[in-house]
Amino acid sequence: MLYRTAGQFKTSYKSDMALFPVRQDAVLLMVILGFAWVVFPLTASEFAFQTLLIPILIYALAAQGLNILTGYAGQLSLGTAAFMGVGAYACYKLVTLFPWMNPVLAILLSGFFSAGVGVAFGIPSLRIKGFYLAIATLAAQFFLVWLFEKWGWLYNYNASGAIQVPNLDMFGLYVAGPQASSIVQYYVVLAVVTLMTLLCINLTRGNLGRSWKATRDMDIAAELIGINLMRSKLTAFAVSSYVVGVAGALFVFMWRGAAEPNLFDIPLSFRILFIAIIGGLGSILGNYLGAILIVGLPVVLGTVPQALGLPISSAMVEHLNIMIVGALIVFFLIIEPHGLARLWALIREKLIIWPFPH
Amino acid sequence: MKMLTKLAGAAALGALMAGGAMAEGLYAPNLAYRTGPFAATGIPLMNGQKDYMELMNARDGGIGGIAIDFDECETGYSTEKGVECYEKTKGKAIVTQPWSTGITLQVLPKTNVDEIPILAPGYGFSPMADGKVFQWAFNTPLSYWDGASILVKYLGSQGDLSGKKIAFLHLDHPFGKEPLPFLEAAAEAQGFELVPIPVGLKEMQNQSAQWLQIRRERPDYVIMWGWGAMNAGAITEAVKTKFPMENMLGVWWAGHDADLKIVGEDGKGYKSVSWSFPNPEAPIMADLQKYVVEPGKTLSNPEEMSGVFYSRGLVISMILGEGIRVAQEHAGKAEISPADLRWGLENLDISEARLEELGMTGMVPPFSTSCDNHTGHSGGWILEWDGEKFVKASDLIMPDSDMIAPLEKKAAMDYADANQPWPVNEACGG
Repeated sequence: MLYRTAGQFKTSYKSDMALFPVRQDAVLLMVILGFAWVVFPLTASEFAFQTLLIPILIYALAAQGLNILTGYAGQLSLGTAAFMGVGAYACYKLVTLFPWMNPVLAILLSGFFSAGVGVAFGIPSLRIKGFYLAIATLAAQFFLVWLFEKWGWLYNYNASGAIQVPNLDMFGLYVAGPQASSIVQYYVVLAVVTLMTLLCINLTRGNLGRSWKATRDMDIAAELIGINLMRSKLTAFAVSSYVVGVAGALFVFMWRGAAEPNLFDIPLSFRILFIAIIGGLGSILGNYLGAILIVGLPVVLGTVPQALGLPISSAMVEHLNIMIVGALIVFFLIIEPHGLARLWALIREKLIIWPFPH
Repeated sequence: MKMLTKLAGAAALGALMAGGAMAEGLYAPNLAYRTGPFAATGIPLMNGQKDYMELMNARDGGIGGIAIDFDECETGYSTEKGVECYEKTKGKAIVTQPWSTGITLQVLPKTNVDEIPILAPGYGFSPMADGKVFQWAFNTPLSYWDGASILVKYLGSQGDLSGKKIAFLHLDHPFGKEPLPFLEAAAEAQGFELVPIPVGLKEMQNQSAQWLQIRRERPDYVIMWGWGAMNAGAITEAVKTKFPMENMLGVWWAGHDADLKIVGEDGKGYKSVSWSFPNPEAPIMADLQKYVVEPGKTLSNPEEMSGVFYSRGLVISMILGEGIRVAQEHAGKAEISPADLRWGLENLDISEARLEELGMTGMVPPFSTSCDNHTGHSGGWILEWDGEKFVKASDLIMPDSDMIAPLEKKAAMDYADANQPWPVNEACGG
């Protein structure tokens, strides 16, 4: 009923290939964007900004970067956190070497450094596939974290070995560092994430995206129909690492405020991989759903007992939280192994033909 | 749909009302870690802190006539969770106790904006001692640089250090690197050779490579800056490689009874610097037994309560409690604000006489703070493992403040410069 498509005729190829062929999808997206741009900022508390809105967006962006590589181009990667680290350290060096630089520009530029590193570590993908490639990217993970620890120049020879975000302003408004207000940071993150998502949607629908999907589905067949595998794989590494690097810069500059090298260690890589897998490989929407489940849900669950006035100790809440989130992940993967995005697609399909299923 | 919104509305209303009913007394949250990889060392500390506040509430009806709402927010020692807890509690909290160097680092710049004192007893950033620059941060009673200085001084009292070789086995993490600037300066001044040996977070439990290096270097002493699983790893490895235990010394976080119990007799002679010491004879222990343990309000057990870490938890809460008391007297009201508490923590005077009143004689050295000295530099004891428990192996040793103070000033200024605009307490003289 809500999703009735009757009466929406497509009279040209262009309208058939539009981003949203079904009008309700566009409306739904507008509503979500309206919430993200207007309603949340007006109503959210400091706590909601810092623990829900900003991290969910940043994690979703990182997962999106990984999804381009793993979901669209079929190259399994375990080095996401290290590439995020490259973005974060590059951004730190940029703003400390050139203090006059616009912070948002620095964040967008830092993605190029991680794209370069990503391509370098992507070269083995030309010869090896699947789990073997995962091991090669794991090497990137170990090597880069080691580099962040040992190369003093990267953290300006700080005694603590950690990087600390200075106060950065843009047009007289603090956007990063302790003086920045959460709402400003939220808008910066939202703007960058919206831009990146738009870029990713269009890339994956275009020529490049098709060559990635062909590579993923069967590389020999793709080569036979004239796709340059080297180009396809390396562009996937470059675009993916760019997005991941930008997410890493946002992660440290717009949210954490400080970072030590081991922040970018394997647990973070796995976390992002889980978001991508549970959300759904090969989809853009899935990254957001996955991030809400993995990043947002534990925070919300953690506040429930206190809000209801239940006398549970906070350590117990933490244990319960781990169990509930774990059980939910298993539950969702059993009912839909292809992830939350696929689950939503099925629901949507059912809604379209409701109330007259075939 | 209508039903759903009604339900959601009711739930939200219920949540609001429940939230409102919770608040009573002074809200002093603790960012605890009873889960995760460091839980074994965290639990006794958290229990000590909690029990002290329970005692205050049960025996004295709180502090200054107002109950202390001592609450824990679980972080699992994860920085991300820690920041979540900080955001969750900062609205009504009078203090934040971050409990990890990583969380401290993250929260430190924010406290200037939020104006909440950070209480980080015996951890965090050593330059926090400079209260003019770090207006809201307190690392009473000893900083890591003080600790390193006491260790070097103790070793110096055992024989001239020039020409000696000291290995510095440390966690490769902001916490472990913290004393390096001081030790480097001390090595230059006293002519000993410093060999820093980092232990990566992933290598904590398997330190064979590091100990191979120690065997090759043949250092005269090993100073260990470890935490959590690293301590047990290093101590068992030292026993295995037959390193003379009496030449191995650790920071106060590396003096955990449970880590040494693993090796027992073989660990005899191992030393650790400490600013707290368990005193089973202290009157406060009897009070704890009566008001907290017997009514079943504690999460601890007798074995844990006799250990170094539990009593350190007590001392930490005592420092907070005294800060609250001083602040209440100054402000003339029981319900103090975070800014009042900052005044209180800046004007602590924990003298021998006051410790006796509190029933905590011998559990912490006396110290006092001021607006430009947020540490107190109490001095510390060297504790030695006698095969069963830690015993005091030295009198109170004071840190070499003449050498540390300029280092602190410089590091504090560097920090403030890198984080412009950074407000400095100009009103504070000295």
